[in-house]
Amino acid sequence: MLHQIFVAPFVQMATLPDFFLQVLWEGFVGGVLYALIALGFVLIFKASGILNFAQGIMVVFAALALVWLYEIGVPAYIALALCILMMLLLAVGVERLVLRPLVNQPDIILFMATIGLTYFLIGLGEFIFGGEPKVMITRQLGIPTGSFELEAFGGFIIIQQLDVAAAVIAIAMVLVIAVFFNRTKIGRALRAVADDHQAALSVGISLETIWVIVWFTAGVVALVAGIMWGARSNVSFALEIVAFKALPVIILGGLTSIPGAIVGGLIIGIGEKIGEIYWGPLLGSGIENWLAYFIALAFLMFRPQGLFGERIIERV
Amino acid sequence: MSAPETAAAAAQEVLLAVDNISLSFGGVRALRNVGFNIRKGEIRAIIGPNGAGKTSMLNVINGFYHPQQGTITFKGETRRDMRPYIAASQGIARTFQNVALFKGMSTLDNIMSGRTLKMQTHFFWHLLHFGPARREEIAHREVVERIIDFLEIEHIRRTPVGRLPYGLQKRVELARALATEPDLLLLDEPMTGMNVEEKEDMSRFILDTRDQFDTTIALIEHDMAVVMDLSDRVAVLDHGELIADGTPTEVQGNERVIEAYLGVVH
Repeated sequence: MLHQIFVAPFVQMATLPDFFLQVLWEGFVGGVLYALIALGFVLIFKASGILNFAQGIMVVFAALALVWLYEIGVPAYIALALCILMMLLLAVGVERLVLRPLVNQPDIILFMATIGLTYFLIGLGEFIFGGEPKVMITRQLGIPTGSFELEAFGGFIIIQQLDVAAAVIAIAMVLVIAVFFNRTKIGRALRAVADDHQAALSVGISLETIWVIVWFTAGVVALVAGIMWGARSNVSFALEIVAFKALPVIILGGLTSIPGAIVGGLIIGIGEKIGEIYWGPLLGSGIENWLAYFIALAFLMFRPQGLFGERIIERV
Repeated sequence: MSAPETAAAAAQEVLLAVDNISLSFGGVRALRNVGFNIRKGEIRAIIGPNGAGKTSMLNVINGFYHPQQGTITFKGETRRDMRPYIAASQGIARTFQNVALFKGMSTLDNIMSGRTLKMQTHFFWHLLHFGPARREEIAHREVVERIIDFLEIEHIRRTPVGRLPYGLQKRVELARALATEPDLLLLDEPMTGMNVEEKEDMSRFILDTRDQFDTTIALIEHDMAVVMDLSDRVAVLDHGELIADGTPTEVQGNERVIEAYLGVVH
């Protein structure tokens, strides 16, 4: 038994390196997508101190809306543009109807409000788009769907073009957001709001504008994540489970860190895939449902603030 | 030196006037029918025992609190209440009782955040960090560097402010407020927790700020020696009411003030 746990999987990795590489690649793609979802959480948490419970459902909602629009006859790219507009309206709506009335309330109340938002979006989504799973309009959006083979270690790795596209888009998106929030005056304003609301107000930073920008960015990130995940499976509310995989990612990466979301995403994505393939048969299936949380917990024992989180030191 | 200045200030126009301000939170009345004005170029102290409503008054002036009654007249425009954004864009800046800095950011970034409203370039250029945005960033850096020189904080430019000692944090906070190029600067207890030497430095900075940056200053302070030295006029609040208003000497001799501070056996 010990042999099976501690030796056999590694022997397997070493003897079939091409297969191992394939596992790594799939883990990497999964990780990049987790990172993309986690990024949505981190953006909102940084700017407003709220853990946005609705981030996962925003992913599903955006993807469903896109497919639904296409189904009722809107051309794919126009549907995409409409979805981006919809995320903007959602951001404005959330700011007006949820954040503004609750400003200065304890964080837990705002968190509860995002739970409310989650169920509102689920209800609204099922009402408009129906409950049955849909197929993502991958090809119509111009995302390649074929696959090709790479030769490595005397074997072949099969790479889906879709996965390559997902990785490239996600990485580009992360870079743009990182530059945006580090280099621009809006980024500085965002960090200011994250640190101290009152002080930010006193230098003339508008909380409302910053919140709308952040929720809109998180919405667009959700849309992209929804398209990519949807293309890999189906688009349905079951995707929400996947979206919640972002929770261990942000716990691991640190709630306030964009690099943390990326590295956390990759660790969870790759760790989960390796665990599933090599140890999964020993522990029974279903390992992918809890392994991510296990990895996050294991890391937390050593770094309670997450890998890149801000260390909380109270000066007494 | 202070006497002719006071006379000059008296002749000058009123920059801000609050009239008949009442503010309550539920049953608690924080301010009752308070009215006073601040003249252009003066240093105006607001004093009073703890809980007298001093900070509430500043919060009303820069729009954090909206009074139930009364008006605020700034630069000749009368309003029912202020909004923080309007206050900031009209030229009111402030510091806070318990230093409110952006702790994760460097001194430089903190002060640069004070330039937010002065930056006009579209954020698209900032994204590219190129063209007009670059020129603008450089221009604003020059202003900020001047303030850094003025407050003698060159050596902590790159330090995250969370790591600075309290006295320096207060100075960075003042620098951020100055970066907004305010016409009216509200200082909420700028010298609490400072030793004598630091207080002297801060007093010098406050006086120099008025003289070099043409800024009108309203400050809340508990140290009476400082208040008497610095201010042209003093408003005294007690239990949300204005109980005295005048020059430091006038206020010092006022019976109600002595009563409020020392307590009187009835």
